[in-house]
Amino acid sequence: MATPSPGPTRRGVLGFSAAAALGIVPDTARAAPDGQITIASHVSLAPTWFDPAETAGIITPFMMLYALHDAMMKAMPGKPMAPCLAEAWTVASDGLSYAFTLRKGVLFHNGEPVTADDVKFSLERYRGASAKTLKERVACVDVHDAERLTIRLNVPWPDFLTFYASATGAGWIVPRKHVQQVREDGHKKAPVGAGPYKFVSFNPGVELVCEAFEGYWRKPPAIKRLVFKVVPDEATRLAALQRGEIDIAYSIRGELADELTRTPGLSVKAAVGSATFWLYFADQWDALSPWHDQRVRLATGLAIDHKTINQALTLGHSHLTNSVFPENFDFYWQPPAPVHDPARARKLLAEAGHPRGFEAGDYYCDASYANIGEVVINNLREVGIRMKLRPLERAAFFKAYAEKKLKNVVQGASGAFGNAATRAEAFVVKGGTYVHGSYPDIDAAFVQQAAETDRAKREAILHRLQQLVHDKAIFAPIWQQAFISGVGPRVGESGFGLIEGFPYTAPYEDLTLKGKA
Amino acid sequence: MTVITPPETTIAPAIRTPRPTAFWRLKGFPLIPVLILVFIALVAIFADVLAPYDPTIGSLARRFRPPFWQEGGSMAYLLGTDHVGRDVLSRLIYGARVSMVVGITAVLVAGGIGTLLGILSGYLGGWADQVVMRLTDTWLALPALTFAIFLAAIVGPSELNIILILGLVYWTRYARVIRGEVLSLKQREFVRLAIVAGCSSRTIMWRHILPNVINSAVVLATLMLGVVIVTEASLSFLGVGVPPPKPAWGLMMADGKKGLLVGYWWLTVMPGLCIMLMVLSANLLGDWLRVKLDPQLRQL
Amino acid sequence: MKQYILRRIGYSLLSLFLLSLTIFLFVRVTGDPVALLTEPGASQEDIEAMHRQFGLDQPLWVQYWHFVASFITGDFGQSFYYRTPVLDLYFQRLPNSLLLAAVAMVLSLVIGIPSGILAAVRVDGFWDSAGKLFALLGLSLPQFWVGLVLILVFSVSLGWLPSSGSGTVWHLLMPAFTLGWYFAAAHMRLTRSSMLEVLGSEYIKLARLKGLPEALVIGKHALKNALIPVITLAGINLVVMINVAVIVETVFAWPGIGRLLYEGVTFRDFPVVQAVVVIGGSMIILVNLLIDILYALIDPRIRLES
Repeated sequence: MATPSPGPTRRGVLGFSAAAALGIVPDTARAAPDGQITIASHVSLAPTWFDPAETAGIITPFMMLYALHDAMMKAMPGKPMAPCLAEAWTVASDGLSYAFTLRKGVLFHNGEPVTADDVKFSLERYRGASAKTLKERVACVDVHDAERLTIRLNVPWPDFLTFYASATGAGWIVPRKHVQQVREDGHKKAPVGAGPYKFVSFNPGVELVCEAFEGYWRKPPAIKRLVFKVVPDEATRLAALQRGEIDIAYSIRGELADELTRTPGLSVKAAVGSATFWLYFADQWDALSPWHDQRVRLATGLAIDHKTINQALTLGHSHLTNSVFPENFDFYWQPPAPVHDPARARKLLAEAGHPRGFEAGDYYCDASYANIGEVVINNLREVGIRMKLRPLERAAFFKAYAEKKLKNVVQGASGAFGNAATRAEAFVVKGGTYVHGSYPDIDAAFVQQAAETDRAKREAILHRLQQLVHDKAIFAPIWQQAFISGVGPRVGESGFGLIEGFPYTAPYEDLTLKGKA
Repeated sequence: MTVITPPETTIAPAIRTPRPTAFWRLKGFPLIPVLILVFIALVAIFADVLAPYDPTIGSLARRFRPPFWQEGGSMAYLLGTDHVGRDVLSRLIYGARVSMVVGITAVLVAGGIGTLLGILSGYLGGWADQVVMRLTDTWLALPALTFAIFLAAIVGPSELNIILILGLVYWTRYARVIRGEVLSLKQREFVRLAIVAGCSSRTIMWRHILPNVINSAVVLATLMLGVVIVTEASLSFLGVGVPPPKPAWGLMMADGKKGLLVGYWWLTVMPGLCIMLMVLSANLLGDWLRVKLDPQLRQL
Repeated sequence: MKQYILRRIGYSLLSLFLLSLTIFLFVRVTGDPVALLTEPGASQEDIEAMHRQFGLDQPLWVQYWHFVASFITGDFGQSFYYRTPVLDLYFQRLPNSLLLAAVAMVLSLVIGIPSGILAAVRVDGFWDSAGKLFALLGLSLPQFWVGLVLILVFSVSLGWLPSSGSGTVWHLLMPAFTLGWYFAAAHMRLTRSSMLEVLGSEYIKLARLKGLPEALVIGKHALKNALIPVITLAGINLVVMINVAVIVETVFAWPGIGRLLYEGVTFRDFPVVQAVVVIGGSMIILVNLLIDILYALIDPRIRLES
């Protein structure tokens, strides 16, 4: 099957394939690692990604972490928080301490055992995203013996495990002795971890070579060598895949993805992460702006033909959630599905005083996503909203967006970690980095939820907040974007879609080549 | 005061300006390239009449239709449709206008800045020369595409800004060549006479120097036209060119390049052919002009 | 003479200073690296922490001073993106760029010189036109397009050459040709004009009068002299090629300086952009300085004029 069948829901497919992958492969009866899989990356690999301590709040580093390192607990097939290096944990009734028991006999690549002391060291050494919050709230780490430890907090923090296990790199373990011996620089040049693959060599911006770590606790990887190559141009990645130079090509979009479905032997793999896209009406608080009229904003949403755009640009794999909040976030509220209704859009525009449409000004977007802007603008024209596309080079776009220099309509996007509250803080609530204006009732709801300790009540407030965002048409959501990759004919299990919400192939120890599993 | 011979007659034989009426009869006159350029210019002027569709509106329902002679193509869209379902032929026709306008005005901007600064620096010498030459050195040491990306980031992309950016990136070549010309003109009899006669610097530069460097400027312009158009396409490849959905050949090529591997060859081959024909013609014309007007010009 | 050289060196240093200042400001005015190293919507606290880590919380003049100081000590600081010394990155890429530029230069001369000679000797003949057209074609097509067509034909359809990457001679062929073809026209033009000039000179007329065979006159006497300016230009272009191969390097995933710079620009990796531009600029300024001094040595009038 080249494409997942459109019939069952995505979750259904995922659940099934995850179970199959786990069921088919018995942990013991496996041959020694053999063969090589070459992965073409769309972004240049940075050595910081080899070090969990540096994990910034983006998903890309996890592409490397899943290979080289292992975490106390992490997202695994079928489980968003599967016990890995930690075999079990308990939370004290006051919510102030977490006791962990480590898995026995787990080794780092250099042969040393993973101990509770390494866990303490890794948490204390962590300096990536949200490091300050972690430092402030974690009081201390008590190491009882080699396998048991307790993390104590200053204040009850219900989200602690989420932060520790998935949103940051603090729960990914590095060997204290080794790191202190070779110093930080040495560790970055030749990292040692407890993951399924050992570091062999790295050439910045060119390639990373890894080799199977046969002593990996879960099971020895099936593939001997894993090579990550950097191929910046999308078309070149596809060509390399067609030629069999590489086995997996990350990020293949639009018509190139079409070709994947047509070429025998190649297949499309799509994963929906937490990156939502939307139109932001930056001038809606200006009474003189046409966007001040809610009917105009609603009409814009109605004009967008989400389904067709989804089909054309991401082969229908993106999720049309009609929200700027990702559906996989905590406290997510599902708004009604988006509607494409040009007739009603025209009617709304006429009611708002634009019977013949209007010259609607600039439409700003990140140039790397100008392809979305182009088709959206085309949709808007059909109902009479005539806009000019202004694609800005990525760096310049985010600078201008954050400095509130972009006027009129902005095509925004975010794949930041967090929950509904953090997303609202950055994009909806007064004072946020990308907020041009706000509504008092939403701001009040935000303050209220931040002080609420009862989870159910907090959820209710956040649901109301999201409903307000939806009702006021602050944004016209586009989609939660699918990340599409191509897989070559040699690959058996590609690893895509095994872990829900993870765009890259993982876990690496599950990858197989055909006829070798 | 009026003893000076008009510079036109003085220099005419010196630079062997051919009589315009005899242009087409001259040996090696690039007739085909000139016809091509004239044709493109006519298409650009009459784009509104010629184009069958609005070049900026499409429908995703009819994207990637092949040209009419291929299976699945139709006479409705002679050269097929692109990734948004827009008519490729109409976009090519309007694209001629964008390319002509961007190409010519960018060359004019570059030529204007460069010629002006070149004359000032060459004629005035001293600190003016120093400032211009240091500026030129610095400019040339900056990689052109990087420079263009930064400029685009500062001013934002629009057709006008792309023109300014290309002009700002490429004026240095003019400045250098023109300055060299002016330095040698300064030694010539008629300029010296003008100085002796007490003409103001402005008059000399405007009346005596400028007409004599125009030839070089024209030759450079025809040669630069190609460079500018190809650079504009490259900027589109890097995502900072003329913004879509504007029909520009460079943008069409960059947008369509993905289709090349997928079998949608017409998306990039068609605009590619147009750019190639235009640039090649401009270059052939430029080469010929250079030999005719200014055989001494070697730095090009 | 000594004074002239000293003054020229002074000018070059001034240009270098202007260049460093320009790039320092450009890269900062146009984007914030932290916005690109985190997701939009990252917490304010994380953004500030990164700013501190990169020293971006300090006043501009302090940052500039650090940059100049690091340049003088030959250090160049750490890349924001890779978090490794910029100089290491630069020297990892430089051999690739040199190799690409050298082979591209050879190819461009192989195309440019013969077609230039033909254009000078056999004006308006078939081979003249064909050669000229072929050389000019390289200038008339955007490099990304030429590159993709080559990949399509030689990698995908014929399967003869690897589509991208580096390592073997086969990897080198397509990028080098794409880059070299673009420069061929310039070398063709210069060969032709310089050849025409030499052919019109007295000693060639003399050689002809002596009844030497035309092939010998052109192949030996004329060519030797006509190629001097071409080789000079080739030298300059070699330096230029190292620094402008961005597009070729992106299409073919060739790990050279051009791509290092381009990625530095897209991620606003200040230290990388500054280092690549200043080192590349120094090369170009140095070449220009050497040429100026050489010309002054050959032609004393230049010294007097300026």
